[in-house]
Amino acid sequence: MKQLNADVIVVAAGLSGLAASIAAAENGASVITFEKSSTTGGAANMGMGPLGVGSRIQREHMISLTPGEAFRKHMYFTHYKVDARMVRDYYFKSGDTIDWLMDMGVEFVGVQRAFSAPEATRAYSDGEFTWHVVKPEDGGMPGPRCATAMTKKMTERAKDLGVDFQFETPVKKIIMEDGAAVGVIAVDKNGEEIEARANAVIICTGGFGDNPEMIKEQTEFEYGNTIYNFAIPGMKGEGIKMAWEAGAGKEPCIMELMYQLPDNMNHFILDGAFRQPCLWVNRNGQRFMPEDQIANTTFTGNAIAAQPGKVAYAIFDSKLLKKYKKKGPDIVSHVHPHDLFDHFDEQWERDLADGYEPIAQADTIEELAEKAGIDVEGLVAQIEEYNEMCEAGYDEIFEKDRAYMQPIEKAPFYLCRENVGAYGSLGGVKINHKTQVLTQDAKVIPGLYCAGTDACNIFGDSYPFILSGNTMGFCLNSGRIAGENASAGSEDFDDFE
Amino acid sequence: MKIFIDGKEIEASEGASVLDAALEAGVFIPHLCSHPDLEAKGGCRLCSVEIEGMEGAHPACKTEVTEGMKITVNGPEAEKVRKTAMELILATHPADCTGCPKYGKCELQSMYQYMGVSPERWRKKSRAVPNDESNPLISHLFTRCVRCGRCIRACQEMRGVKILDYIKTGAGIRAGVPDGKSLAEAGCRFCGACIEVCPTGSIMDAFNLMKPERTYEENVVPCRSTCPAHIDIPEYIRAIKEGNFDKAAAIIREKVPFPETLGSVCTRNCESNCKRGELNSPVSICRLKRAAATVESGAWKERVRKDPATGKKVAVIGAGPSGLTGAYYLAKKGHDVTVFEKNAKAGGQCRYGIPAYRLPDELLDREISTILEAGFELKTSEAVEEPSKLLDEGYDAVLVSIGTHQGTKLPIDGNDLEGVYVNADFLKAAREGNPLPVGEKVMVLGGGNVAYDCARTAIRQGAKEVHIACLENLQQMTSSEDERKEGEEEGVILHAAHSFLRITGDTKATGVELQKVNKFYFDENRKAIIELEEGSNQIIDVDNVIFAVGQKPSGTEKMGVELTHGPYIAAKDHATSVEGIFASGDVVTGTRSVIEAIAGGREAAIAIDKYLGGDGDISEVLTDREAPEKYIGRVEGFAGLERTEAEIMSADKRKCGFDAIEKPLTCEQAKCEAGRCLQCDLRTTISKVKLWNEY
Repeated sequence: MKQLNADVIVVAAGLSGLAASIAAAENGASVITFEKSSTTGGAANMGMGPLGVGSRIQREHMISLTPGEAFRKHMYFTHYKVDARMVRDYYFKSGDTIDWLMDMGVEFVGVQRAFSAPEATRAYSDGEFTWHVVKPEDGGMPGPRCATAMTKKMTERAKDLGVDFQFETPVKKIIMEDGAAVGVIAVDKNGEEIEARANAVIICTGGFGDNPEMIKEQTEFEYGNTIYNFAIPGMKGEGIKMAWEAGAGKEPCIMELMYQLPDNMNHFILDGAFRQPCLWVNRNGQRFMPEDQIANTTFTGNAIAAQPGKVAYAIFDSKLLKKYKKKGPDIVSHVHPHDLFDHFDEQWERDLADGYEPIAQADTIEELAEKAGIDVEGLVAQIEEYNEMCEAGYDEIFEKDRAYMQPIEKAPFYLCRENVGAYGSLGGVKINHKTQVLTQDAKVIPGLYCAGTDACNIFGDSYPFILSGNTMGFCLNSGRIAGENASAGSEDFDDFE
Repeated sequence: MKIFIDGKEIEASEGASVLDAALEAGVFIPHLCSHPDLEAKGGCRLCSVEIEGMEGAHPACKTEVTEGMKITVNGPEAEKVRKTAMELILATHPADCTGCPKYGKCELQSMYQYMGVSPERWRKKSRAVPNDESNPLISHLFTRCVRCGRCIRACQEMRGVKILDYIKTGAGIRAGVPDGKSLAEAGCRFCGACIEVCPTGSIMDAFNLMKPERTYEENVVPCRSTCPAHIDIPEYIRAIKEGNFDKAAAIIREKVPFPETLGSVCTRNCESNCKRGELNSPVSICRLKRAAATVESGAWKERVRKDPATGKKVAVIGAGPSGLTGAYYLAKKGHDVTVFEKNAKAGGQCRYGIPAYRLPDELLDREISTILEAGFELKTSEAVEEPSKLLDEGYDAVLVSIGTHQGTKLPIDGNDLEGVYVNADFLKAAREGNPLPVGEKVMVLGGGNVAYDCARTAIRQGAKEVHIACLENLQQMTSSEDERKEGEEEGVILHAAHSFLRITGDTKATGVELQKVNKFYFDENRKAIIELEEGSNQIIDVDNVIFAVGQKPSGTEKMGVELTHGPYIAAKDHATSVEGIFASGDVVTGTRSVIEAIAGGREAAIAIDKYLGGDGDISEVLTDREAPEKYIGRVEGFAGLERTEAEIMSADKRKCGFDAIEKPLTCEQAKCEAGRCLQCDLRTTISKVKLWNEY
């Protein structure tokens, strides 16, 4: 068995692991970072940018939100059910973290909000300008995956600081001695075991979005049945399991909900095409929310999860389809193509021919309901009522935005089932505001830290979209906090040697 | 010669490309279509550089170095070409990587991270190609293809199989098999080179073959990794294909001293994991081993390890496969080894448990005498009850490998009646030439291979009607399909999914009462759950009943070492609770297989050698290895090549006695069968591409 030694060991080199590695190395610690894949960045390579409050860029753009205000908003959103001190330390560090990244050479296009609520509902659900979108290195327009430019700069910075990356070398176990974490057992790509010892171990493995068994055990959902989440390959939850095995306390794990079609990447046009404020019903044929909110993926994901069978159905008719084709969709998300409906017919015909199960087309409402498995009478009655309200120009039930009150009357009718989706899992390992891992009765486990998604217990029950960039924001800042705390005293140790 | 990259002086060798020279010197230049083992094509343009005195950007992979050449990697012209090239590559690649199993190990993803190209211009244009996962080994997911052509070059030039090519589709050009043929139809050799060189997730191993608990290489070459002794299976099969049986035998003997025994009775983990089995049926790895062992000349003997004498004495108790293997390697390590065997002959279960028609005495004698050439003493008919006494007598270490020779009975009524036997006694008596008498009708209780050994032995002893009853249904039974088929041919009547309630009779067994089992499984606490069908009871009249429901060690309670699960010896890395006493084989693991016993013997030898101050290195190189031929060529109809089976005596003849029932494969048969191997190990010699973060 190969033996390695360092001051700090970081388990996985995703966003939180990179932040932890850099922060520890900046503190003078020697750092070994184990990563099971051959690249750094983990799930963050799919993202666009982190949250920050009080950054240089925000000040330049006169965005006046303060860390204290963000803290209050966050605590209001979560009903004070989460660790206020952790939340406070996170927001108060987040602006500085953006500056820290910029000093590394990371560039940001600007600050955005991921979600802007429709005018009438702004007071309840508007997003703040906290989302620092990473600028691609070539200076072009940002889009999904542009955060790789950030993970690259962070990797370079870590390497400059002497962080020892061990690629394709997953950690299998945390070595515990006398109740303290003293190292890890890892296995390299040739199957050789490595025993690495350190003063501190930081777990940063990114949750269990790619582990259906754990999703079933730890949450109310079943992958491929009641939830179709992003299963970013590699997010297996090993870190959470290792921490629990080492004696860490458990916090409830949640799925970071949104909604999407099953296998949505192969049906992306439909995924976008039906994400419209048309008519949305549940399995009983009944409407369940004002459709003008469906751009809010968090709220809509939650709403679908509350319906019988955790499903919903979006329906439009030929007239509406014609309008979308001619004038463009009512809502365009920042991930779907703008020219969605130019490609609609092609994808629709192909998917119908292939028997893609979530979709249906019919010439009568009854037939449509039958094909989709919706209560026939319920849907017929609902559409009758809805069409009458469209005629009258006013939604008496949910006061849906009048602009979207368009009747469902002209055959053929188009339907698409909408399932609960998620970006991944959140939380599980109990930590304090220093990211030290705690036992169930809140005793510190010496030497053990956990950061990022594995320990993101601060969202309560839902992603706080009002402060966007929050998932990556927490990864970065908790990682940085972990790296700083885990390496505290490293210099002193060096002095003795 | 010297060249300069971004002002840095670099030593380059004559004829090298700028790209290779830079990478060799640790300077990273982006690249995607070039691969260290494939000829450069200059297609992707990512390696574009500027060269002083030359206009424009030039692909570094296609530019030969010249003395004093001055190269700029990130000049404006080169950057422009590179960026445009990357945009074009990404234009048709799916933008969302979250569903791709290559995530985190994808060269394109790494390159994208390195280059930071803006996604805005390309993120909407992916062209869907239906996934083709119809082949059980290789999945084609060409929506992700970036047309780098590596797989095509690997298939055409490196392997000479020439079935992958650029194909034109309505959605543009991509890699694939022309004319809409399947891989099998096209004559694919399934070597996996295309998978190995693909920089994206376009060509991948079938998802269910890649077990997450195994390393990459273990997954890629499953026969070798699942063999308990890790015999280099692909290598010896290649030697057989070339007709070099001596070399094949030497490769096998590098890991195991019982090739012929294993070639006759191995449980063949390798074959159940053989990827060929996914196409039609596995390579006959086991019988190929026998073929090599029966014709080899012993050339390997010139190369065997014989370390200088250490002056240390080791005693081995039990001359079964595990004990003899341990002794064999310890003797090679220079220790003075004595093996004590309770029975009259060495061989353990191979001698006394496995019937002679499967493993004849002559074969065992031959193999054991070869093992004894390693230079250790074998004392038969000498039992040792207390290993610690041997330590007192001056042995430095003791290996206990006494196996599991005591048959067990189930606690049912009538189990002690006259005419009721247990497997171990029954089989041993047959091998010793003093068979236990059987009447006209016999019932064997148990569903494993040993039950069949008992049943088929009873037939050979003259029983006219032989039954087997077991709790398990056909799917659950642990006996091999071959055993069941051969047993049936010999007349064995099987009552699968039946519980045995009691043995009838007053003083002598007269029958067995059976009841049908509807469900039999183990619950989460490993407790057996049996659901019986009411009213399905029947009594089958028999003269003898043989229990074949497991075996256990005997005499371990007097050995003074810590035990576990009853009579089994507790051992950690083969060391028992008493210093200097080690254990291996069935007595530790429970009744398993010959190959596991041998693997245990090897590991025990390593542990004991280390304990005695040695380095624990028991490895041997018994033949020269040449790099295997990479250019394997196409073989029409390769996927459909049928497995060659060894010749088996007809059922009528084999029932009449204990002669060996199966002939070894002839050399010609063996060479032909070896030609079916996919050579899964070939791809492990392909160079790995270093990503930017490793520079």
